[in-house]
Amino acid sequence: MLKNYFKIAFRNLWRHRVFSLINILGLTVGMTACFLIFLYVRFELSYDKFHTKADRIYRIVCDIKTPTETMHPGGPSWAVGPHLMGGFPQVEAAVRTTGDELLVRKGNIKFQEKNSLWADSSFFEMFDFKLIKGNPRTALNDPLNIVFSESAVKKYFGDKDPIGQTVLLTGDGFTAKITGVMKDIPENSMIKADMIVSMNTLTRKLNPGLDDQWGNYGNRTYVLLKPNANASAFEKQIPAFLEKMNGTEMKLLNMYPTLILEKFKDAYLRSDRNDSNSGSIKNVYIFSIIAVFILLIACFNFINLTTARSAERAKEVGIRKVVGAERQQLTRQFIGESVLLCVIAFLLTIAASALLLPSFNLLAGKTLSKGVFDNMGILGILLLASIVIGVMAGIYPALVLSSFKPVTVLKGRFTTGTRGILLRKGLVISQFTISITLIIATIIVYLQMNFMRNQDLGFNKDQLMVINSNGDPARDAFMHAVSTLPNVKSVSMSSSVPGGGNMGAYSKIQNVKGEMQIANLDLYFVDFDYLKQFDIKMAAGRTFSRDFMTDTTHSMILNEAAVKMFGYRSPKDAIGRDFNQWGREGKIIGVMKDFHFKSLQEQIKPLSMRIEPNGCSLVSIKVSGNNLPGTISAIENKWNTLIPARPFSYFFLDEYFNEQYKSEQRFGKLFLNFAILAIIISCLGLLGLASYNTMQRTREIGIRKVLGASVTNIVNLLSKDFLRLVGIAVIIASPIAYFSMHKWLQDFAYRIPISWWIFVIAAVTATLIAILTVSFQAIKAAVSNPVKSLRTE
Amino acid sequence: MIKLEHISKWINQGNIRNFILKDINLNIKEGEFVSVMGPSGSGKSTLLNVIGMLDTPSEGDYDFMETEVFKLKEKQRSNLYKTHIGFVFQAYHLIDELTVYENIETPLIYQDVKSSERRAIVADILDRFQMVGKKDLFPTQLSGGQQQLVGIARALVAKPKLILADEPTGNLNSKQGEEIMDLFVQLNKQDGVTIIQVTHSEKNASYGKRIIHLLDGRIEKTVTN
Repeated sequence: MLKNYFKIAFRNLWRHRVFSLINILGLTVGMTACFLIFLYVRFELSYDKFHTKADRIYRIVCDIKTPTETMHPGGPSWAVGPHLMGGFPQVEAAVRTTGDELLVRKGNIKFQEKNSLWADSSFFEMFDFKLIKGNPRTALNDPLNIVFSESAVKKYFGDKDPIGQTVLLTGDGFTAKITGVMKDIPENSMIKADMIVSMNTLTRKLNPGLDDQWGNYGNRTYVLLKPNANASAFEKQIPAFLEKMNGTEMKLLNMYPTLILEKFKDAYLRSDRNDSNSGSIKNVYIFSIIAVFILLIACFNFINLTTARSAERAKEVGIRKVVGAERQQLTRQFIGESVLLCVIAFLLTIAASALLLPSFNLLAGKTLSKGVFDNMGILGILLLASIVIGVMAGIYPALVLSSFKPVTVLKGRFTTGTRGILLRKGLVISQFTISITLIIATIIVYLQMNFMRNQDLGFNKDQLMVINSNGDPARDAFMHAVSTLPNVKSVSMSSSVPGGGNMGAYSKIQNVKGEMQIANLDLYFVDFDYLKQFDIKMAAGRTFSRDFMTDTTHSMILNEAAVKMFGYRSPKDAIGRDFNQWGREGKIIGVMKDFHFKSLQEQIKPLSMRIEPNGCSLVSIKVSGNNLPGTISAIENKWNTLIPARPFSYFFLDEYFNEQYKSEQRFGKLFLNFAILAIIISCLGLLGLASYNTMQRTREIGIRKVLGASVTNIVNLLSKDFLRLVGIAVIIASPIAYFSMHKWLQDFAYRIPISWWIFVIAAVTATLIAILTVSFQAIKAAVSNPVKSLRTE
Repeated sequence: MIKLEHISKWINQGNIRNFILKDINLNIKEGEFVSVMGPSGSGKSTLLNVIGMLDTPSEGDYDFMETEVFKLKEKQRSNLYKTHIGFVFQAYHLIDELTVYENIETPLIYQDVKSSERRAIVADILDRFQMVGKKDLFPTQLSGGQQQLVGIARALVAKPKLILADEPTGNLNSKQGEEIMDLFVQLNKQDGVTIIQVTHSEKNASYGKRIIHLLDGRIEKTVTN
């Protein structure tokens, strides 16, 4: 009997190739999208879960209350880690880490290691970064110990055993001994490092006393609590502890830190205190929803087409009943058939996913998965889903058809009931609601991206090449040498450039009432030409000038945001006021207009600038557009003669600044791709339904044509119903899209308004697509010869 | 074999009761060949469907082989006609997706006949109807007469005691029609299969030993040849 069913199923598939194709294709596309999104979501959720002690590891973050604001430094002060360790029995271990960029040299091999890390000695006990060589307990015990990753070893030592070997760090500043080799840190780890230097190199050798600095904030600190320790009880004990250890200093500086424990395994997705390597639980939700939506759309398609086409099978059902089939047998046959289709789609999904995986990895910017079959769990779920979809899609026609009396079915034309039509209409509306919502969302995401890229940032980032001298003493000479090159327009030096990080300084500024107000000010160290170099405009006062002796030490420029913070109504009023910052005192000589030194996701924060040649290590070079490769190689030449110890590397500011939007752009791209998929699947469904509908009405169309209906009449007749459904979908989708995108935009301090025309565009797009899909069928039916269609009766 | 007593069937249209069958009393013995005649709308097909248990009357009793049909449950009833009745339709009603062989095989599948047995039975009947060469063709590749032969073969494959034929020659030309009627006579005489056929044509009706004339749902007259 099974064989008979299979035969029927396959022959049916083949006889109605177009429908089968639409059906299977839609489901395949949907399941493939779903599968890929699943991979992404699972990868994001897997961050930092691989540590066996993950449940006990907490990251300590810190808020600092000053009289004017609450600051969020990167972490607590340097003293917190070591002192928590001694002060609380429930703390099993504490580890501080500090990311760095070290210049590493072994003989002639030298690299600027972007992913270097300083870490306390329990690092390898707390985290599951496996050491292939060396002892995890002792590898970071002593100053000047360093652990290399496998790939770092390959880079410097090839196949030789590196244990006990030495490398030179920080421009040959000191020699470190390799005490361990760790497996490369996996991609789903928030802590990233190619080499790890023992923290006490810093705390004992280079900067003794760091362990007791309570006022020096920004140190990433992790604690491992003992099993069964209560984290929130521990957290509640901390304020008293801080008070005891550091109360006097807190009062003196008027800065009150609060320490907060974050579950380390959740930090990647749920903390807003990460650096650039950070995920977003919101994106995980958004994509999960999209995945479910796409699968729903595909599933609706399948149900739609299957139920629509069920009428055609009525005759077969009648005959089968007459020759003795029981209801149950028929039900089983129909469900089986639709499950078969779904399983075919599932197999195609595996093939499609395997094909798409590499480019999807590329799109996501990480290796989410190496191969389709690494994900048996997800595949299992998908297989189950496809079977469920099959049963769901099969159950309706199976029950309806098998309940018919054979006489009625065999006697006349079988027409589908209104119930089925209503169901189908409902499903089409939901599909288009989802699609239109996604269209609107995509437009808004793209407009916002575009806005961020093209917004006037308040400074000029074009043709600016930036080189990090890492504070090399020869940088002045280099700068001078570069400034004489023909295609170099101007040169400047600073501690920071827009789009990158910058210092925050504990400062006292005279406010509008004349008091010295405490604030954490973002700080750029610059040289005299910086403002001109970046084309930053002044709002009041003057820029730094070589004509004023005091400018090198006693002058500060604030931005408008800072002036506002200190209560001045007009930038002019702040000129001549006093400042006290990091031991320097003097006057405010000018106020610059606000410029976006961070991404547009953030408000422009109060910023101060001072001349401080020793603090500047970024050399920015304004080049002309002519012969750029020649200019770059000329600059490289100068570098190699003057600073031979360091590898030459540079970036262009515009690209660097836009890097900040990389994750948003990736988000936008993914979003666009999946939105298009959703629309394609919806259209496939519409196409199938429209052509089926047209087929069903062949006779009616024939009669109407004989009675004198024009082609336009017929096309209208056939398209109207579907367009009405799309119209309803537009009405439902618009508010949904409006509210969700309104919420999404809240993450951007500078954002586009959601204008009405976005909805119009989405509606028109959806309608056009629907018209194209439907009218193709309608026109075909309308121009056909009525005699032909009537003869088939 | 078949005993119909006071069988009536009606449809209510508003307050008016429209009779399709009215007080039909009919006895058919095993081995008979009965033709049912009458104009369109006289209730021929409905009568046939009632006998075939595909339709239920509004009133009356029906004994089939000493079983009171209307007291049976749906499943028992379908078992009864599954094993004892074969249907032949004017429009053949073959499953387009199945080959000749598979169409004929289908009833056996639903009667849980083993596959080896099925093969033997179908081969037998194909042989008898001289259709062995056509067994792998699909219905659409056959002429109307050939399709109806397949339809009859399918009706016969489960060795039923009764064949119900609803205008079996209605879609055929006269030569094909004659062949089918000859086949019926042969089945009736040689195999003792009871045959009830509905027909419009006097000529085809005369193949039957008894001709029942229906008019407006009543038996108008019965002629025995």
